[in-house]
Amino acid sequence: MVFRSGFGRVLSRGLATEVGVGGSGSVGRFKTFKIYRWNPDKPAEKPRLQSYDVNLDECGPMVLDALIKIKNEQDSTLTFRRSCREGICGSCAMNINGRNTLACLCKIDQDERKNLKVYPLPHMYVVKDLVPDLTNFYKQYKSVQPYLQRTAKPADGKENLQSIDDRKKLDGLYECILCACCSTACPSYWWNNEQYLGPAVLMQAYRWIIDSRDEATAKRKDMLQNSMSVYRCHTIMNCTKTCPKGLNPGRAIAEIKKALATS
Amino acid sequence: MLFRPVVISPSVGFRAIGSATILRRSLSLKPNLNKFKIVPPPPGGVEGDVNEAFKHPETNYLEGSYHWYYERISAGCLIPLVAVPLYGALSGTAIQYPILDALLCSTLLIHVQLGLTSCIIDYIPKRKFGIWHNLAMYSLYAGTAVGLYGIYELETNNSGITGLLTGLWIDGETNLYIFGKR
Repeated sequence: MVFRSGFGRVLSRGLATEVGVGGSGSVGRFKTFKIYRWNPDKPAEKPRLQSYDVNLDECGPMVLDALIKIKNEQDSTLTFRRSCREGICGSCAMNINGRNTLACLCKIDQDERKNLKVYPLPHMYVVKDLVPDLTNFYKQYKSVQPYLQRTAKPADGKENLQSIDDRKKLDGLYECILCACCSTACPSYWWNNEQYLGPAVLMQAYRWIIDSRDEATAKRKDMLQNSMSVYRCHTIMNCTKTCPKGLNPGRAIAEIKKALATS
Repeated sequence: MLFRPVVISPSVGFRAIGSATILRRSLSLKPNLNKFKIVPPPPGGVEGDVNEAFKHPETNYLEGSYHWYYERISAGCLIPLVAVPLYGALSGTAIQYPILDALLCSTLLIHVQLGLTSCIIDYIPKRKFGIWHNLAMYSLYAGTAVGLYGIYELETNNSGITGLLTGLWIDGETNLYIFGKR
């Protein structure tokens, strides 16, 4: 009782440190967030953009901070995926101001006069609000058999050894977190996503094709020898442009085409 | 007597919807238009169980890397084949080699055929359009055949594609018919 009256104000703290909290008299810098809303429980209602005003003075720097703040304080029905808030899980992939990116890695433009628009990943089936249905994406990932295939056990019974040069070939490929930003930015994937694998999955296919420890390379390549799996890529390069991790799926697909042509 | 007993022969099937009975003949002159319909994508774009892996289309090298290879080869070949007559036309030393011209025409035709095949697969995929995809492919083959005949005509009765294009700028001495000019 003594403490509470002594401090005189409720001590509450969000995930992010509050920056420049003014006194009770400060107006705050309110920025409008326009967020795509669609509720599967009311399928007859059309999707709409809902506006939320967020005080940037009391909000963390990233779009995900703002989304969490909106969900905590304004509208608990707002639905989105998030987990690690540091760009390593790939859950919060969404279309922010027309660009596919991770909400946790995307800084809020501090100009509060401009709106910020948030949509789910484009051309995907929407489960609710900002949550896309990634079932097909994961099924496609499963189809490239993303695991080591060997007939023989390693000689020492412990490890499959690899030279430093061979290991270097995997750099820029294994970092992919499968957030689906690149695949859903690809027009080819928009038109043919039931059969074209898309940049993210193809980059993982390439990651296993060039792995020196893997022995199923020929089988992996054969799997892709058809008109749909790889060759719907027309080097549009939206994938490389949008990747929030700075990877280059376009190059990986080009390498696959090269590997298939010389096999 | 308004009602007569209906004799249903084995060749006439029937099914009951509510109280009404619809008789359907096994032989009908009404055409079945279902094959012209566009196939809607499966719910969520997912075929089969959510946990089983996506099944790749069948391995076919001709549709896979060979197609890609032929596209690149034809594109690469077009560079010198276009550069030689272009140099000839620009430098005014146009000596026409009918063989080179025929090669240019044929390579161009192959390149266009391969490129348009890719376009059709992109925008009229068999998965979705079924019979329309086949129709598009057949019309492409027909167009290519007509193009091949056109090349034959150009090379034998006229001065080839180089002459055809030059005629757009210069009044040729040929009696080639281009857009009303002779």
